Amino acid sequence: MNKEDIISSGLLELYVLGETTEAETTLVITMCNQYLEVKTELLNIEIAMEQYAQAHAMLYPTAVKNNIFVRLNITDNKPVAEQKLSPIVNLNKYKFFAAACAALLLASMFINVFFYNKAKNADNKIAAIASKMEIIEREEAEEKEELNIVRSKYSLPLKMTAAEIAPKDADAKIYWLTNTGEIFIDPSNLPTPPKGMQYQLWAIVNGKAVDAGLIISKDGKTLKLQQMKTFGKAEAFAVTIEVEGGVKASKEKPYVSTKL
Amino acid sequence: MQITNKYSEEELVKRLQNQDENAFSYLYDNYAAALTGVITRMVDDEHLAEDILQETFVKIWNNFKQYDSSKGRLFTWMINITRNHTIDMLRSKGYKKQQKISDDENVVSNLRDKSSYIERFDSIGIRKKVQNLKPDQKIIIDLAYFGGYTQEEISKEMKIPLGTVKTRMRSAILELRKLLQF
Repeated sequence: MNKEDIISSGLLELYVLGETTEAETTLVITMCNQYLEVKTELLNIEIAMEQYAQAHAMLYPTAVKNNIFVRLNITDNKPVAEQKLSPIVNLNKYKFFAAACAALLLASMFINVFFYNKAKNADNKIAAIASKMEIIEREEAEEKEELNIVRSKYSLPLKMTAAEIAPKDADAKIYWLTNTGEIFIDPSNLPTPPKGMQYQLWAIVNGKAVDAGLIISKDGKTLKLQQMKTFGKAEAFAVTIEVEGGVKASKEKPYVSTKL
Repeated sequence: MQITNKYSEEELVKRLQNQDENAFSYLYDNYAAALTGVITRMVDDEHLAEDILQETFVKIWNNFKQYDSSKGRLFTWMINITRNHTIDMLRSKGYKKQQKISDDENVVSNLRDKSSYIERFDSIGIRKKVQNLKPDQKIIIDLAYFGGYTQEEISKEMKIPLGTVKTRMRSAILELRKLLQF
């Protein structure tokens, strides 16, 4: 068999697919060692098939990696923490109250600003105050609404932990209202996204990542608690960094994530 | 997944031959999802699939010395181990690959449906290109690559003469390469 023959025979393809007999395997290896052209052809088939497999990659069970490392008695210096379940029971009361307190503090700060502004501008422009008041009142109402969301007995708080591509202290909190399926995210502990980029939330439903909405930033700062798309069920949530405006399906690794 | 080029393949292989644990961790992070894709297409039982994935990586680690880069790329070797181990496990559990084929008339369409399941925040660009494969071409590749079907089984499943499986496979993969530009 000459090199052209083996290239056009389909044997190289079958070899990559693990479908060759022992004799055929030996032939392929011999020809590869003999002719660079055959070797290159094989390499290209392999790379294409590898890409094909990567394109069909699926979410894998997260505990498996740890199990393997425990079994092999080797240490994994890079734990799969980013995928780890963040049990709801572990989101202890302190954190919950701390979140509530923080929100209250914010609310009080807004009221302070309100009075400050009122005193300062009272002499000058009543109209300006009125419009500011309107904004403040709206913000205050938003704060109140946020508190209601956080405090709701139906609210299921989920802490999203930083994946390896994110700084360790990056996190985001999801409040999932179990009665209505509404989802709110508090992204205030996410670093400011790079210019032209935006965070996007994904819900993993039946193993599939579904767009759960864009996380809005304003003046380079990420807004606090904001409502995302509504989901009745999901196995996990993840945030990715995307170009501004978001994408239909993400190519990025999760930045922060949580699993139910 | 965009494979981060932390290690070149050559370096990765060398490190794994020296039982470098970080390299193994890297290997898992970069290839587990792709191998899971293969296993999940062959096994319906989630727990069994988990076991198989675990066993496969244990095998890869323990048998790494057997990998010979002159015989092909690392991934080709790994996916072969995965596929063979999955077939072995299915057999030992009393499933027969052959039976699965004859019992399930829709196996071809099953394979196809499952492949839309995916999603790991990655590879969407490649997947889009791959979608341009003709259905027949995708099926023949998937049966062999993700299903572990032999040429005989493919011939039976697709109702094409055994002698044409090889050439059909070649033209399907040629088309795939054209789409992926390899």
